[in-house]
Amino acid sequence: MNNLSRRSFVSFALASTSLLAMPAISTGSARPKVVVVGGGAGGATAARYIAKDSKGAIDVTLIEASKHYYTCFYSNLYLGGFRDYDSIGHSYDNLSANHGVNVVHDWAISVDPSARKVRLGSGATVSYDRLVLSPGIDIKYDSIDGYSVEAQTKMPHAWKSGTQVKVLRDQVLNMPKGGTFAMVPPPNPYRCPPGPYERISMVAHILKEKNPTAKIVVIDPKNKFSKQGLFMAGWEKHYPGMVEWIDNDTHGGIKNVNPETMEIETDLDTFKADVACVVPAQRAGAIAMNAGVTDGDWSPIVPASMQTKADGNIYVLGDASVASAMPKSGFSANSQAKVAANHIRGELTDSRVFPAKFSNTCWSLVATNDGIKVGANYKAGEEKIEVVDKFVSKTDEGNAKRKKTYEESIGWYNGITTDMFS
Amino acid sequence: MVKIVFKFFIIISCYLIFRGLVAEPLLDGADFDYGEYLSGQCLTCHQNSSDEGIPAINGAEAIYIAKKLILYKNKELENEVMQLVAGALDQEQIASLAIYFNSLEK
Ligand SMILES: Cc1cc2nc3c(=O)[nH]c(=O)nc-3n(C[C@H](O)[C@H](O)[C@H](O)COP(=O)(O)OP(=O)(O)OC[C@H]3O[C@@H](n4cnc5c(N)ncnc54)[C@H](O)[C@@H]3O)c2cc1C
Repeated sequence: MNNLSRRSFVSFALASTSLLAMPAISTGSARPKVVVVGGGAGGATAARYIAKDSKGAIDVTLIEASKHYYTCFYSNLYLGGFRDYDSIGHSYDNLSANHGVNVVHDWAISVDPSARKVRLGSGATVSYDRLVLSPGIDIKYDSIDGYSVEAQTKMPHAWKSGTQVKVLRDQVLNMPKGGTFAMVPPPNPYRCPPGPYERISMVAHILKEKNPTAKIVVIDPKNKFSKQGLFMAGWEKHYPGMVEWIDNDTHGGIKNVNPETMEIETDLDTFKADVACVVPAQRAGAIAMNAGVTDGDWSPIVPASMQTKADGNIYVLGDASVASAMPKSGFSANSQAKVAANHIRGELTDSRVFPAKFSNTCWSLVATNDGIKVGANYKAGEEKIEVVDKFVSKTDEGNAKRKKTYEESIGWYNGITTDMFS
Repeated sequence: MVKIVFKFFIIISCYLIFRGLVAEPLLDGADFDYGEYLSGQCLTCHQNSSDEGIPAINGAEAIYIAKKLILYKNKELENEVMQLVAGALDQEQIASLAIYFNSLEK
């Protein structure tokens, strides 16, 4: 392993300052430049680790559209009344104050891979030596007949960071007595495999208390789902008779949705809902498409580094990547970011590059103090990220264990958000 | 007299261990930079900002961390996530993590 210390760059780095100028964003030094697009689980972690561990030797610019990042993780717990909305919002201030990251709040509009430049909404351009894209998902609005950008206020997906989950919570709280909540989960592959089923649990939790004769119908485009046995046992235990899950083979396929009449039509039947959460199919955030590093809907990557197969100067992290065995989760994105950060530092400052190690655990809350989890660790195979070992909670493990698992998830939430934003 | 010699022996031993002159086999092969890299996997959950649900481990004794990791690796301590993480670590990696976390401020 190369032992040339990154410390030799420190004094040089300290001597340089960063400038923000229009229309070109000049970072004012000959330091190698990394631009990160997207300040979510993957991007904020990557920006922070590259800046922190290179101790100023690398000039890091983070381009993020929003001033605050509201985590999708734990947004279901907000929905269920276990968290307040403010507690899932995070600011980028520490990334610049503590690590010298240039945080630019704007949209990255396009990437020119040959000139190694990113164009922003303001018209400014930022050049890079290495580019990290972690834009998360875009919703494929046209993947369900009748669904559209406009439809999302009537039938919110609430599957991206932001206030839609507030709309959904209000709708659930104001649902008519004995009404029907319909959920249409997305088809594979999608962000957060257990997410739709945790959401159903949280809606059931509210309804049990406030509207106990209400019903939940799940019209799934799949025939099975993550932690299925655990969720279904939990629904029977905590919300008996309230949740009906209908698999694709039974309803025969979702034909269309109608936000005006609040109807969901399948081969089998037309379901009328009072509140409906419709989560369409997904694909990599548009900027990954624009950069030319996608194949179909997602970006294929080299497992050892998270570099895209299409362009060695561009890394794609998180939901937008094809991470094979790794689910699209915040934990995965955070884990991939560290592998990429280590590789990028090695390339730009000759610091030591260590073998990729990935991990993920997804905790879900089924009811008060009833937490479940599924996890695995992974290694970089030649072509794919491969599972090394895995576990999942057991159906008969007892209440004390479930409570501990929930408490552990609180620790994880505090941990990962500190790891991204401190 | 025997008591004094024994005391002296203990003090010298402690000093030597402290100075790293008598190697602690659990920490053999520890590599600080490697520990820094590997710590990324732990820091997703273990942070100083919170002790709720998951313990803060910054600044803990290196030997304590190494012993704990070995207990998880051998499934003598319960917790699926920790068994998974520790199960995939070899001795050098455990030692590297132990000295790295020990170096962090409490
Ligand atoms: C309901 C729900 C529950 C979930 N629960 C969990 C959980 O418990 N555990 C877990 O690990 N994961 C969970 N997830 C999944 C997790 O939120 C995602 O997998 C994770 O956020 C992916 O990280 P990312 O970096 O790929 O994208 P994101 O975190 O979405 O970050 C992308 C960022 O990029 C910005 N952006 C995109 N395009 C541009 C552009 N062109 N210019 C500038 N900025 C741009 C966006 O504003 C956004 O901030 C959940 C998701 C949902 C929907």
